[in-house]
Amino acid sequence: LALYFHSGEREEKCIIEDVPSDTLVIGNYKVQRWDTHKQEFLESAPGLGMFVTVTAPSAEILLSKLYGPQGTFSFTSYLPGEYIICLQSNSTRFVAFAGSKLRIHLDIRVGEHFFDESAVQAKDKVNEVYLRLEHIIEKIHHVSKEQNYEREREEKFRKTSEETNSNILWWAIVQTLILISVGIWQIKSLRDFFISKKLV
Amino acid sequence: MAAPWLWLLPLYTGIAAAAVPPPPDAEVTFVLPAGRRECFYQSAPANASLEAEYQVIGGAGLDVDFSLESPSGRLLVSESRRSDGVHTVEPTEPGDYRLCFDNSFSTISEKLVFFELIFDSAQEEEEEEEEEEEGDAWVEAAEPEDTLDIKIEDIKESIETMRGRLERSIQMQALLRAFEARDRNLQESNLGRVTFWSAFNVGLLLLVAFLQVYTLKSLFEDRRPLRT
Repeated sequence: LALYFHSGEREEKCIIEDVPSDTLVIGNYKVQRWDTHKQEFLESAPGLGMFVTVTAPSAEILLSKLYGPQGTFSFTSYLPGEYIICLQSNSTRFVAFAGSKLRIHLDIRVGEHFFDESAVQAKDKVNEVYLRLEHIIEKIHHVSKEQNYEREREEKFRKTSEETNSNILWWAIVQTLILISVGIWQIKSLRDFFISKKLV
Repeated sequence: MAAPWLWLLPLYTGIAAAAVPPPPDAEVTFVLPAGRRECFYQSAPANASLEAEYQVIGGAGLDVDFSLESPSGRLLVSESRRSDGVHTVEPTEPGDYRLCFDNSFSTISEKLVFFELIFDSAQEEEEEEEEEEEGDAWVEAAEPEDTLDIKIEDIKESIETMRGRLERSIQMQALLRAFEARDRNLQESNLGRVTFWSAFNVGLLLLVAFLQVYTLKSLFEDRRPLRT
């Protein structure tokens, strides 16, 4: 687990993943707590857990579970779009505890299973090649799915652009017409007013 | 005559084992609230090449401050108010590199930031050449039952190369996706702006028109009492 970041005790940190439909997303995390006495991060803080919440693009909560200080969570996307993965510790300590922070290691894999090098090499040669090939095929499928998703999004982008373009034109025309008609109304109304006041 | 090439075998596996597999590539999209600074740490092995690429894909202004520090605390990169950037560190020191995104200059707009960390083991290209030469020599001197091992090693090499290239494709896709997301967000906010300000304009126009006529009329209003 190579990427990590710091967060406050009760702070919620979120990561956004934009994934196509029917894609497996696996997250692997480890959390450590800062020990002010030893001035370093404890290897595994006992009793510390993390709430993992996954929100789908439809604002539906897909996953909301409490895991231990180290864990793996996964979900399969049924809708294409942005999934928000949030991590928050279940620590009940008050924020007044100065200097306390958490180190969260996080690794999120989209569209593929974790490829465990050591587990694969234990088997016999042909099986090893077979497993590697399967992993590659999974990757290729993922690339292809991403490509299709990109095509969908680009279409949505193009529609938005065209809508903006026609909106600008339509509003400009409407504004001009309103301006002209209001101008005419103003002049007519004032003219009638002055005539009635016997000033003209 | 099996003996001469047998001593090459441990040499081959020796080279393969010496190379530490590079850490998995990380790709993160997150929301950077206004006035906040978020840092990410990535551990790197020695003598690898680290490429950090970031893009601001949402938020007014589409810019952020970026900094990259080496494990020894040396500031390698410091950029101010940029919307995207690419930085390569080669060779890497072993330890944790720190990437920071700073949005302190903005008090109201939160930014949506995407970044990608790509690792390349610098020794990969050298290794592939050596292995190919040894592979050819073996095929000529080998015995039938050992040919299977060699063929399998060749297949594994090809798979490894394919895997590397697919990883690169996935990274490029992620980058293109970030570009597209940024443009799409921008266009969606454009649409909102155009609609809102146009409606506002029309409303203001009508208001001013009525106000003008009313004010002018009221100026001529007869307030003096009627004299008879």
